[in-house]
Amino acid sequence: MEKRNVESGTRGRARRRQSERIRSMASSQQEQVLVEATSFTRILTLNRTKQLNALSFEMVSRLLQLFLAYENDPNVKLVIVKGKGRAFCAGGDVAAVVRDIKRDGWRAGANFFSKEFTLNYLMATYSKPQVSILDGIVMGGGAGVSVHGRFRIATENSVFAMPETALGLFPDVGASYYLSRLPGFFGEYVGLTGSRLDGAEMLACGLATHFVPSAKLPMLEAALSVVDSSDPVMISSIIDQFCEQPSLKEQSVYNRLDVIDRCFSRRTVEDILSALEMEIVGRNDAWISATIQTLKKASPTSLKISLRSIREGRLQGVGQCLVREYRMVCHVMQGEVSKDFFEGCRAILLDKDKNPKWEPSKLELVTDSMVDVYFSKVDDEEWEDLKLPTRSKYNLSAYAIAKL
Amino acid sequence: MDRAFGRTKILTNHLLQLQLQSSASPNSSTASLSSNACLSFTPPELSETYAFDIKEMRKLVDRHHVEERDWLFGMMRQSEVFNPRERGGKVFVTPDYNQSMEQQREMTWKRIEYLRDRGVFKGWLTERSEESEMRCFACMEVMCTFDHSLAIKVGVHFFLWGGAILFFGTKQHHDKWLRDTENYLIKGCFAMTELGHGSNVRGIETVTTYDANTQEFVINTPCESAHKYWIGGAAKLNINGINQGVHAFIAQIRDANGNVCPNVRIADCGHKIGLNGVDNGRIWFDNVRVPRENLLNSVADVSADGKYLSSIKDPDQRFAAFLAPLTVGRVNIAVGAVYQSKVALAIAIRYALTRRAFSVKPYEPEVLLLDYPSHQRRLLPLVAKTYAMSFAANYLKMLYVKRSPQTNKTIHVVSSSFKATFTWNTMQILQECREACGGQGLKTENRVGQLKGEYDVTTTFEGDNNILMQQVSKALLAEYVAAQKKNKPFKGLGLEHMNKPCPVIPSQLTSTTLRCSQFQMDALCLRERDLLNRLVANISQHVAKGESKEHAFIMSFELAEDLGRAFSDRVIFQKFLEAEATLAEGSLKDVLGTLRSLYALTCVEDASFLRYGYLSVDNSAFVRREITKICSELRPHALALVSSFGIPDAFLSPIAFNWIDANSWSSVQHR
Repeated sequence: MEKRNVESGTRGRARRRQSERIRSMASSQQEQVLVEATSFTRILTLNRTKQLNALSFEMVSRLLQLFLAYENDPNVKLVIVKGKGRAFCAGGDVAAVVRDIKRDGWRAGANFFSKEFTLNYLMATYSKPQVSILDGIVMGGGAGVSVHGRFRIATENSVFAMPETALGLFPDVGASYYLSRLPGFFGEYVGLTGSRLDGAEMLACGLATHFVPSAKLPMLEAALSVVDSSDPVMISSIIDQFCEQPSLKEQSVYNRLDVIDRCFSRRTVEDILSALEMEIVGRNDAWISATIQTLKKASPTSLKISLRSIREGRLQGVGQCLVREYRMVCHVMQGEVSKDFFEGCRAILLDKDKNPKWEPSKLELVTDSMVDVYFSKVDDEEWEDLKLPTRSKYNLSAYAIAKL
Repeated sequence: MDRAFGRTKILTNHLLQLQLQSSASPNSSTASLSSNACLSFTPPELSETYAFDIKEMRKLVDRHHVEERDWLFGMMRQSEVFNPRERGGKVFVTPDYNQSMEQQREMTWKRIEYLRDRGVFKGWLTERSEESEMRCFACMEVMCTFDHSLAIKVGVHFFLWGGAILFFGTKQHHDKWLRDTENYLIKGCFAMTELGHGSNVRGIETVTTYDANTQEFVINTPCESAHKYWIGGAAKLNINGINQGVHAFIAQIRDANGNVCPNVRIADCGHKIGLNGVDNGRIWFDNVRVPRENLLNSVADVSADGKYLSSIKDPDQRFAAFLAPLTVGRVNIAVGAVYQSKVALAIAIRYALTRRAFSVKPYEPEVLLLDYPSHQRRLLPLVAKTYAMSFAANYLKMLYVKRSPQTNKTIHVVSSSFKATFTWNTMQILQECREACGGQGLKTENRVGQLKGEYDVTTTFEGDNNILMQQVSKALLAEYVAAQKKNKPFKGLGLEHMNKPCPVIPSQLTSTTLRCSQFQMDALCLRERDLLNRLVANISQHVAKGESKEHAFIMSFELAEDLGRAFSDRVIFQKFLEAEATLAEGSLKDVLGTLRSLYALTCVEDASFLRYGYLSVDNSAFVRREITKICSELRPHALALVSSFGIPDAFLSPIAFNWIDANSWSSVQHR
């Protein structure tokens, strides 16, 4: 067993560089996810820095392959996931998905999401602890490969967001499970507005389990590299040694939970908007006004399906959430009700004019029956609901069981 | 000693098995062995499969406003006022029944305010449409799934007080009271029951006189038996409607500051066996004066100079018109009862799918509770009954919201019969489920046992069940007499089957026959028909001896009781068939068909079929065996069937999930 002292980080890093070099000679698919093994710990580093580690199909496939293998490997007790560069992971590589759909039809996209959601499910119900080090941007799909795991470490560099409604999509990757379980109606707020959260806010609302200053991460990693147990209590106590209690900024949205609770608990998106508008009758509140503006700029269809998804997700297990989200994303890609996803990608990612033309263009034009379509089975003979991997043969922890 | 030895061996065997398992599977770890030294919890989701789409089934069972329901469920789950508690890694919301009566009442009120502030009651009184009435029903069902006190307190305010204003009042009352009631700017109650009179509304003794000089009514409690009793919300509230004979008045019982008004005395009804979150109170009126316009005058009015005016000349009809708001109460109670059954069964079935007891052979693992035919036999017929009640409840709601003067009688009879049958069924289901959960059923956090106390009241309020069932039999009797007198065929209440030839039960029953819906319908119709004939004959005999019809009916109570039950069972069965008929061929329909047979045969198993000789002793035994067979066929669907009830996890209880973790030492420390 490799014995490594917390203090001897330099030697560790040198060895790591060496192991990275060896691995970089392998196929290009593997380069996007760097693997480092210590005695009982595996460190997976997302390595697509130019794209802010956005998840490509190859990355998702590789992660899935690794996680499946580690589950059956008695020599793996702990999996660490982190990102190279200034991002943990900026999301799924949506631009590539859109390109694939344009070339090969919507099924090409379905393939990506099916793999990604399967990975999300595996992580949510994993029999071994996953520690994600969120030292940078964590958005969309990036949240999906971290928040479901047992431990999420935020730092002063963390920036979290689920920005899908601005893109004509909806918070997927199991977000309807974890957003809906944030305190009060904070999940609706985060999911509908795409609001950015910092590390302190992530810890306060529970998206992160620990806050460790970025400077202490090498020491934390070193300490985690030598654990020989999957016991979450023990791992948590190791992380605790490097933890700090960050304070919320005075302007933090987390100090506005009362308004969020009153408004984002409403029945419909229209009700939420009018409740927000009622809040600023006769008084100025820059944050509420900005929130209203953000909602008005987002895709109306996205807002409606996102709200319903979070509401349904609140009462469902993580597996059901992912199966439903898979249905939804297939309908989004099919574009039979709205093509906002393609328009959003055009305006935000490709042309970058930041001026999407949504269709339907207004909330009131998105009827209940249009929303219903997204939650129905896809009417296509070859289409199937998402098949989740079986979990019954694994000795699941109580933590995982509670999410089923 | 032998037993102790055997037990040790079994336990050792469990440990050995575990070791075997862990050495066989590559993911063994020391941690898993230490945390699973003896038994481990296997979530039923991982061991059971769904043979049909549970979302589709839920749509069929809940029928309307599914999204609305989930919104409300979710809203309650997310709020601190609904007392969320974490057990076994999951959040559960149930009231803290260990709180004092005063605290429980305070919490009920806080919950109502919370829901009001988030727009839950928007339009309940000010937007009247079939759609909005159905939405109210859905919300009431969700609220009663959380807590009976919450539903009752809301129900009294909106349906009894609000309903009285709406139905008995005229435009002036609507304009003045409805919006403020909806926003809870005023809080109302409905004071009808007195110490001396409950179900017999006509017997109430409170006196109101009109003083033409001041144009005021004077309300007075003339004697102790006339003081108002069980008045929901009375102990706290400031407006009060009272119904004297056939009249309802608005009287203020508290001022804006919550002080009791002059000439009104109020007392609490005290601690109850359940429903302590509702402030039931008592009221005495000492010549309380209310202005003339406080008479709710849609049915009858008094002119300024004291003349009595009414558009309905027949006092019986006038009386019936006054009871309309009570009908919606009965609908709510009947429908609410079904949801308690769902909660209890979902908990008991889930527990039975994770709890093991006794090995059949030494060294074998213990058997899952639900794999015992006896346990299936206890719970699965109750699941079938709950499905049957759900479909019937949907019919009752539709009947109510589509009401017209022509359907008043049907609504009265069906709501009476369903209220009694559903609440009785539910009390039976709660008791069975409580026992099926063993000792865990005793813990209030596990809900089932506590529900017995909370819902016991449903068997007697808004009409005592026995009285209601007598009214059903009386109504059927009246139909019979009317049909004979006019020499016309039966029409209405589903009695058309009386016009057809009497069905015949085959002397040799087969499994195929027993599962045939035609046979099932025939059996239930035969019993209803025969009991109605017998009741008529029995009453005629008494009358022939010179007794009054009323006395004759009282003396025929046994037949009347059986007939009431026969009517209910038949109508419920019919609604089950109709729901089934809406489905296309497929797995959903197949399972529902099996459930329907189980429901029907459970009805046919009733003693009355032997008592009156509709079934031979042999056939009765055959029915019994068939029930056991159907139970074993439904066993693989048990989880899917209770999941389709759509009760979110948070509204079930810790024993329905990881009860080992929920009760572990580490959970004790974290609490």
